[in-house]
Amino acid sequence: MFRAQAEKIAASSAAGQDYALCSMLHSNLAAAMFDSLQPDKRLVVLDVGMAMAASVDYFSQFKSKLLFVDLYSEAFVAEINDEVSHQQLVEQFRQALAIDDGCIIDVCLFWDFFNYLDGTLIKAFIEALQPYVGAHTRGFGLGALNSRCKLPNSCYGLMSEDKLTQCPRSDEQRPVYPHSQRDLNSHLDYFEINKSRLMSDGRVEYLITRCNDSVRAKKPIF
Amino acid sequence: MFNFKNDTDKSGSAVNKPSRGSSEIAKRGSVSIGGKTMIGSTVVIDGNITSAEDLIIEGKVSGTITATGHEVTVGQAGQLNANISAKIVRIEGKVEGDISGGEKVIISKTGNVLGNIDAPRVTLEDGAKFKGSIEMDPDEQPSIKAVPSGKPDLFPANAAADKSNAS
Repeated sequence: MFRAQAEKIAASSAAGQDYALCSMLHSNLAAAMFDSLQPDKRLVVLDVGMAMAASVDYFSQFKSKLLFVDLYSEAFVAEINDEVSHQQLVEQFRQALAIDDGCIIDVCLFWDFFNYLDGTLIKAFIEALQPYVGAHTRGFGLGALNSRCKLPNSCYGLMSEDKLTQCPRSDEQRPVYPHSQRDLNSHLDYFEINKSRLMSDGRVEYLITRCNDSVRAKKPIF
Repeated sequence: MFNFKNDTDKSGSAVNKPSRGSSEIAKRGSVSIGGKTMIGSTVVIDGNITSAEDLIIEGKVSGTITATGHEVTVGQAGQLNANISAKIVRIEGKVEGDISGGEKVIISKTGNVLGNIDAPRVTLEDGAKFKGSIEMDPDEQPSIKAVPSGKPDLFPANAAADKSNAS
């Protein structure tokens, strides 16, 4: 039975995404991303994953600007090159983000992107993002705390303030770098994990906010 | 509606390739029926298109497409390296360029768009591929924004005639 299901998923992956295999996840923290936002202001949303119908549909009720950058598919993220310097990585992330100068993001949908980055890449990504992050910017992430927690090869969308959609990605799953909450918090630099909740499948969801300078200064350096 | 040039030239103009398909549309390159113009899959256009009627594009277009107050559909065979501005834009094929919809933009499940979209309402169907930005304002009054253009209009005289006929 399980083998039949696995073969079905593999076949659909080879042929492209099968949206019949999408599932719904309950979120306790996604709603908190919108707590500090003004309803009459244009909402700027960065989604580091693939553009999903659910997210576009959800944000279509607001005056909004959605930035879909699908960093998962970037070659420099997929194949870690030790010879590339930190500054080169930052520049590669900036080019991949392609965000206009002066644009400040309200909501960052990181999904499980940090799990596919080692500490070096997370630091470069966070530095590349910094010019577009304001004091009120909030983020949402999903994580695997350890290697025992299986991370599905999925893309995600926001269906409502407490519901996410999860669909299989058509490309091959890349190596996963599980980060403990403490380690991830350190890599996030000017961001901090404000709240975290364990999900039913063993993964954890994070609400990420800006931290003040005193908290940032106390973060351990790896 | 369109007078395609039959010869290819490197300066940038419409190219009507010899027909290889069996359909009448493919043979003729383009047809205009009932207020809709179809650009067939064998047609290659390099330049700007201004239309006063609905457009269905199955061919290849580089440049800009403006159909103020009308609908532009990029069919499954359509491949555009062009900015599009229209009342309603429906993408079933491949588009690399910015899209401005006065009313709405729809990317179908077979659609693949790389660019920025600006419209009061945007619908992305399950399976659609999109990379870029989407700017939406559900309260915005329908309007058409001008598409920046670096190339001359291919059919300015026809477009003007069409506009006067339409009004």
